Amino acid sequence: MPTTPPGPGESPVGRSTPRVDGPRKVSGLAQYTSDFNFPGMLYAVPVEATIASGRVVKLDLDTAGKMPGVQAILHRENIGKIFRSVLGQGFDGICEERRPPFEDDVIRYYGQYIALAVADTFENAKAAADAVRVGYTREKPNVETDLKAEDEPNRLVSTFGPKERLQSQRGDADAAFANAPVKLDQTYVTPAETHNPIELHATTAIWDGSRLTLYESSQGVFNLRGVLAQMFGLPKENVQVISRFVGSGFGGKLFPWTQCPLAAAAARQLGKPVKLVLSRKMMFQSVGHRARTQQRVRLGATPDGKLVSLHHDYVYHRSMLDDHHEDCGEATAFHYSVPNLRVAFGRARRNVGATADMRGPGAVPGLYATESALNELADQLKIDPIKLRVLNEPKIDESLNLPFSSRHLLECFEIGAEKFGWSRRNPEVGSMKRDDLTLGWGMAGCTWIAARFPAEASLQLRDDGTARVACGTQDIGTGTYTILAQLASEKTGITLDKIEVALGDTSLPEGPLSGGSMVTGSLVPAVFAAADNAIKSLLTVATTTPGSPFEKRKFDDLAFERGRVFVKADDPARGVPFAHLLQLANLRLVTGNGKSDGSFGDPNAKFSTHSFGCHFVEITWQPEIARLRVSRVVTAIDAGRILNPLAGRNQIEGAVVMGIGMALFEHTSYDRETGAPINSSLADYVMAVNADAPPIDVHFLDYPDKEINQLGARGIGEIGLAGVAAAVTAAVHHATGIRVRELPVKIEDLLT
Amino acid sequence: MGDNPEANPTDPNRRAFLRSLGSSAAAVAVAGCSTVTPSNADRQSGSRIEDTVSITLRINGKDRPLRVDPRTTLLDCIREVVALTGTKKGCDHGQCGACTVHVNGRRVNSCLSLALMHDGEEITTIEGLGAPEALHPMQAAFVACDAYQCGYCTSGQIMSAVALLKEPCDGSDAAVKELMSGNICRCGAYANIVCAIQKVRKSGSI
Amino acid sequence: MKTFEFIRAADLKGAIEGAARAKTAQQGADVRFVAGGTTLIDLMKLNVETPAHVIDINRLPLDKVETTPDGGLRIGATVRNSDLAHHPIVKQDYAVLSEALLSGASTQLRNMATTAGNLLQRTRCMYFRETAMPCNKRKPGSGCPAIAGSNRMLAILGASEHCIATNPSDMCVAMAALEATIHVQGPKGSRAIPIAGFHLLPGDTPQRETVLEPGDLITHVTLPAPISGSRQVYLKLRDRASYEFALASAAVVIKIAGGNVINARIALGGVGTKPWRSPAAEAVLLSQPATPANFRKAAEAALRDAKAQSENGFKIELAKRCLAHALQMAAKG
Repeated sequence: MPTTPPGPGESPVGRSTPRVDGPRKVSGLAQYTSDFNFPGMLYAVPVEATIASGRVVKLDLDTAGKMPGVQAILHRENIGKIFRSVLGQGFDGICEERRPPFEDDVIRYYGQYIALAVADTFENAKAAADAVRVGYTREKPNVETDLKAEDEPNRLVSTFGPKERLQSQRGDADAAFANAPVKLDQTYVTPAETHNPIELHATTAIWDGSRLTLYESSQGVFNLRGVLAQMFGLPKENVQVISRFVGSGFGGKLFPWTQCPLAAAAARQLGKPVKLVLSRKMMFQSVGHRARTQQRVRLGATPDGKLVSLHHDYVYHRSMLDDHHEDCGEATAFHYSVPNLRVAFGRARRNVGATADMRGPGAVPGLYATESALNELADQLKIDPIKLRVLNEPKIDESLNLPFSSRHLLECFEIGAEKFGWSRRNPEVGSMKRDDLTLGWGMAGCTWIAARFPAEASLQLRDDGTARVACGTQDIGTGTYTILAQLASEKTGITLDKIEVALGDTSLPEGPLSGGSMVTGSLVPAVFAAADNAIKSLLTVATTTPGSPFEKRKFDDLAFERGRVFVKADDPARGVPFAHLLQLANLRLVTGNGKSDGSFGDPNAKFSTHSFGCHFVEITWQPEIARLRVSRVVTAIDAGRILNPLAGRNQIEGAVVMGIGMALFEHTSYDRETGAPINSSLADYVMAVNADAPPIDVHFLDYPDKEINQLGARGIGEIGLAGVAAAVTAAVHHATGIRVRELPVKIEDLLT
Repeated sequence: MGDNPEANPTDPNRRAFLRSLGSSAAAVAVAGCSTVTPSNADRQSGSRIEDTVSITLRINGKDRPLRVDPRTTLLDCIREVVALTGTKKGCDHGQCGACTVHVNGRRVNSCLSLALMHDGEEITTIEGLGAPEALHPMQAAFVACDAYQCGYCTSGQIMSAVALLKEPCDGSDAAVKELMSGNICRCGAYANIVCAIQKVRKSGSI
Repeated sequence: MKTFEFIRAADLKGAIEGAARAKTAQQGADVRFVAGGTTLIDLMKLNVETPAHVIDINRLPLDKVETTPDGGLRIGATVRNSDLAHHPIVKQDYAVLSEALLSGASTQLRNMATTAGNLLQRTRCMYFRETAMPCNKRKPGSGCPAIAGSNRMLAILGASEHCIATNPSDMCVAMAALEATIHVQGPKGSRAIPIAGFHLLPGDTPQRETVLEPGDLITHVTLPAPISGSRQVYLKLRDRASYEFALASAAVVIKIAGGNVINARIALGGVGTKPWRSPAAEAVLLSQPATPANFRKAAEAALRDAKAQSENGFKIELAKRCLAHALQMAAKG
């Protein structure tokens, strides 16, 4: 893999740039939440409900409370006040599980926290938590997998605000489907999936009077600050949230979970720092999961493959109290040209923990369904699945009646097909062989939203020739540290090794959630504005400092390039290094602040902004031992300009690996009797390991999308996962003749 | 529980060591066994941890005399007692590989071992390989190949990768992938991890 | 984890006497030996095992692999799985054992796990591992929720109405095919137990998994001299490509002469409540032509008594294909 760093004077933007935080990550010095230890720190371990529905009627703490090292066993009676939080303006006050921990004695999901053991060591806290005896009245939990939409009005409340069940419609879908010469009507199911970042969710809480500091494994420190400030009745400025490094989250760490207020309440009560790290089992219970979905897709088409109607009706499960919306229709209404369309959803409550965003929320399960339906229609019509998509490529976003800012999906198909060798595909089932293996080839398209969140950043130029760029947003492994350094270098000409990046702290300028693949796109204008303002400040210094070579010059006469200030009319190389000017002025630094607006959810948008792409998948099939493996993948992505191809390719490859897991392995099973997520370990919840990862050829189109930002960079964190499962199941069908419409594809599905 | 009705695991008086046995009782009852016994006499004053036992771990070339709870895993000992936090906890059950360290030069899951079992043994953690200003060739290769994303499993990946180069392995990508499959990378940077290992293998630098 | 007394055994006698105090050597034992720790520490963290005394046997001289006078192999109890798998004699003469070991777990776990520990590896049944659930193996008489619950990974051979937990070991499957003997020293002296008689079927006492009694310490395992000219294969099928327990596996040691099978030892893994030797499959093959049709017949015989649970019926066909294919691989050499 080429990793040529920028040469002297070259901007690192658009070049494969090794991560600036890499040396810390590879030497164990990057500090994640649970790596922070404080004098006198206590360890907290929650007591989990072992029923999924019922009430706590007795809490026997006699044994646990007397165990060595125990400082407190906290529960509903003694935890102290924890308030509720409400949704605020913008991206503020968001919380997937709104009920504060211990608020009542009702148990609504297996693993719900009942008490909290706090002790001097982890071993003592865990032993005490295990020794708490809980008496329940039990009810039969509802974890039924078959989902039927509950009777609800069209207008609903969701975690993010109101939603309409009839999500999108145009034309007369019912009539068009009824009259369509060719029809497809299938239901696709995706299981509950668990995020399972390898870093366990963790909180360390420290109080200093009425100030609360939280070290938290978070994809959104500012939202978390706001929610926790509400829960403890504090002004926001009294709460600081720090998340320097995040062991990824995949959406599961976007919003606060109940362990965070528990740790804070324990620290408040005991007057000492409290560290609470979840167990892997808890990761399946109390920190969100991707909802199970059941999606009926109906397609009406002409015999030559033009879509005349599209129905997408989906149902998902959610917890007993909360209202997370799994927007499976995210892409349906704009992805294809179809005159008659209806997208609608329903919901079904289950005794499960709160559902949450997981990488490509909504669109990933949604596109699995719609892209699978398209593939089935292509087979039904006996036309190539690429051709079917080309036939139905829209010229504009037909749901918003807006032009796309930049859509090059057809070119993705061309490039992907060429790199994969798609033209050699024999569509006959089981017809393609290599050695003793049957090959299956499948493809699918993908898309994911592109937009900006509001963002602020600051940039300092310092008298030792270094710069510091800061934003409170966090790097969840997507390369944000490096992107910020690249952006600062692009504007200032300062080399990466002289740029310090500060992230993951609410004391820094307010940055976006690490979600929606929007961080990079949001930060470009903010950092650029900060850099411009720092340079302006520097030029003012240059013209006003006694003894400055530019003392007699007007501000407008000066320019800044590659770290030097110079007179516009002169050769930039004859300019003065900025460090020299700062030293002359006896200034340690000049600072510029930058701010940019969000575009996410803008009702006045002039363009429909999305990223696009496609996947081509080859599987090998050995019927004699029922062994199915993904053997290679080609992915073409149109995500605007790629700022760091090295990290960018890695993102897409990693998402494809997750897509292989989604297609073939991953599902959270709920025990019918107890409602427990029964496979709640990394041995029983199967995720792809290194041996499962095939060669993945990623191609970026690299067309800048200037509607998003100056550099034309959209985000790439999620799109790589969308569509993979549909491409895999198409390949499985091509090899085996078996159409699997409920993920994951299991060996038993293929043993015929 | 089970065949053993007398075992009462929640007895609050059941501490790290059964008092009734004590060192002398054990010595009489169990000839040929040395009971590792906590001693009140030599307990460091001010220690918050009761019933700790003295051991010495040689971590990254340095002898570390420690007092540990017998229940403390090698992983928790390294992280919470010695405060070397580069080694990570991902599952605590030997199912992810994030806690991989070397014991006497071999890679193991430190979460499934008790610290006490390693008295006098040589432990190498990620911090013992190299620091940012002087990276081990494998650490440098991980940076160059972008063999990570979030970085949380990375310490374990690198400890496995370094050990792998000394283990029986035919050197093919397929063999490397199989032998690295005990380290889950949820970010899925598997191809780049293989790239980093093969880069170091080909360079012959370790 | 519950507290315990940690005892470092200095010699065999001390270890045995220390463990002889236990009321049982089976589920819930109050004294446990620890070697690699990969099973015991795992289960202690889950409170599935709560020994009051843990005897560390790592410093006992049980870590040698040596040839025996009769041309066989003697494998010490604390020989690590990796060392055994890569031992030149094992690779050369007992390839099925090497392959089985290397198909199990990960390198890190194989560097820890020992021969004796692997003989005592516990089931992965999710109900066994969750103390909040009933489980006849963990808590006799409490019931078996797996029968009506999640049982995709569980046994189709050797199950009872009380327990359907699978034995998860790969090593034991190969050792069953190799006719290993397990050597135990206990308070009453030493004895040799053929592997076929070492593990118990669950019956109505699923908490009893082996014939071991309190104080019994596995000192070593012996393998008989290799069958010269035999071909050996271990084939393991699972969902992902590595680092996962078997859905079905097969250990095959066969000798073919003149196109006929003249010796066959077959064992299955991932499907039985114990490592599953199949005399029925061996009988079908013996003196018959080594053909795919006969291999399939042997596989049918091996699974004749299989009983499906709600989710694992597919394992019957999967195990058949696994065995038939392993035989085919062995026949091809």
